[in-house]
Amino acid sequence: MNDIPLLDVRDLRKFYTTRRGWPVPKTVQVRALDGVSFSVGRGEALGIVGESGCGKSTVARAALRLMPADGGSVMFDGIDVLGAGKAELRRLRRRMQIVFQDPASALDSRQRIGDALGEPLRVHGLAHGAAVRPMVERLLDEVGLPKSAADRYPHEFSGGQRQRIGIARALALGPDLIFADEPVSALDVSVQAQILKLLQSLRAAHNLAFVFISHDLGVVRYFCQRLVVMYLGRVVESGPVPQIFETPLHPYTRLLKESSPEPDPARTMVMGFQDGEPPSPVNPPTGCHFHPRCKLADARCRQEAPLLREVAPGREVACHMVG
Amino acid sequence: MTMEQGNPALIVDGLTTSIRVDGHWYETVRDISFSVGPKETLALVGESGCGKSLTALSIMDLLPPKVARITRGRIVVDGVDMTAADLATRQAMRGDRIGMIFQDPMTSLNPVLPIGFQIGESLIQHRGLSRKAARAQALRLLDLVRVPAAAERLDAYPHQFSGGMRQRVMIALALACEPRVLIADEPTTALDVTIQAQVLALLADLQEREGLAVLLITHNLGVVASVADRVMVMYGGDVVESGPVGAFFDIPSHPYSVALLAAMPRIEGGGDLQPIPGQVPSLPEMPTGCRFQARCPLRMPRCAELPPFTPVGGNPAHLVRCWARSEA
Repeated sequence: MNDIPLLDVRDLRKFYTTRRGWPVPKTVQVRALDGVSFSVGRGEALGIVGESGCGKSTVARAALRLMPADGGSVMFDGIDVLGAGKAELRRLRRRMQIVFQDPASALDSRQRIGDALGEPLRVHGLAHGAAVRPMVERLLDEVGLPKSAADRYPHEFSGGQRQRIGIARALALGPDLIFADEPVSALDVSVQAQILKLLQSLRAAHNLAFVFISHDLGVVRYFCQRLVVMYLGRVVESGPVPQIFETPLHPYTRLLKESSPEPDPARTMVMGFQDGEPPSPVNPPTGCHFHPRCKLADARCRQEAPLLREVAPGREVACHMVG
Repeated sequence: MTMEQGNPALIVDGLTTSIRVDGHWYETVRDISFSVGPKETLALVGESGCGKSLTALSIMDLLPPKVARITRGRIVVDGVDMTAADLATRQAMRGDRIGMIFQDPMTSLNPVLPIGFQIGESLIQHRGLSRKAARAQALRLLDLVRVPAAAERLDAYPHQFSGGMRQRVMIALALACEPRVLIADEPTTALDVTIQAQVLALLADLQEREGLAVLLITHNLGVVASVADRVMVMYGGDVVESGPVGAFFDIPSHPYSVALLAAMPRIEGGGDLQPIPGQVPSLPEMPTGCRFQARCPLRMPRCAELPPFTPVGGNPAHLVRCWARSEA
């Protein structure tokens, strides 16, 4: 982890404006990303966990420039992604790809799978004419689909098979990094395990790095080496997966872990009804965003947002009460 | 936490439900029997298409007509045989003696009516309450499900609530007439884990206080381990294993139950994932006999016949339907 990271995200910011209220709507700013920093090494799988609305999907979209960021920097292999020109951005896109949660909405329902996979090859000038088909077949083979899949349409496949197609398309250009945004959340457990195994073997075979976005701690524990925990647009904790799972430091990370059900009656989840709701990102609490739900919170937490700081080698936490 | 206490509030006996696909009728729930007593939670577990939701819809008499129908079996709710009753009786039972909550509250709540009105509606319908009395009762119900500042939110619309709060509103709605049976179909699947824990805690608390019999439909074995008393695992429309939660997780016995547990990533880490090879056969391709046979590591010629239920380890409450297990 001491060498230069493949992806380095510093202080990334993204604000949305929405108009809310009735009868007189007011323009409100939502800080979807409020200074998010993390890095990913070559071949490393970094997990980002957090609840809906915490900004975890926005991280992927802003870092890939699928939407403009409002501040901060994203460096990919020493190249400034946010400042890249058109030609450079196109070169970058060959190396950074994304897999979405719902492959059905990411695929064109009237385009044959062979064309969906061949298109990026042609666009980026990797293959032309008759050379496309063998490359498509090799991609299909790599994700465990038969060659004949190339001639079929998305609706002819099950959810798990469609996700394999989504993965094949992300692999088509030989990327170094894949953002995977809840790639197994819509799948049944048995199929989820198939896809996780596939991603794991691809990671090993191509030394692929992953930013793996998920709300499921079990999945992250299986797939990732390092973890970033987000709450309402901010990183609250980051560090190596085994350490975070064994001794979560931030009170929110602890709540997440305690609330996650395990298939073992001896380890039932902690169920309390007074833990409060996650606040709306439109109107976040002052100070530490988590303080209204936190048992440890005091006056300082209500006023002053804690900074992310290193508390042990490789472990960072943003909490006034820790360390 | 025990076996059935007193009279079961819900009895399902030999339920078979068929659905029509391309003019053919297929048995998508086959010969299912169980009962749930007051204060008891029975979890129905399985993956998409295993028939768990269809079972719930059959009990609620909410099957879409013409494409789905109960072909055999009996459903008894609070002593009333629903399958023999006329439409008026079934309607009187539904929402009164038996309530249901769904995965997505937004599809069940009317977006253009205030929630206080929607909760009160069933009380006006089933109990003949006046509007004023229904409103007062709706307020008590919102308090019961711990919606903060309930009095102010009685006139709020569903979109003004968060996902977890909407689910509470739907629970209040389902409990309005103090039913004996609550069917919860993936009630927390769309919620974040911390909110899921809150909603499950709330359900457990209400169940204890109201003496509800709960049929919990879920795909999440973690949720089962945390809240259920008994569990039934379904595959392809069949119950393949059933038993008390402790016994089931101690000795999961059907090859499908074992495979399902081995495919789940654990927070505690350790152990590799074992995906289940292949996929659930489509309805026309369902094999005769055990429907899991094509994906089963223990398959034998006899699997072409449907195996009977046999006790696991001499425990008459823990039953498995597998030739490979029954001979052991």
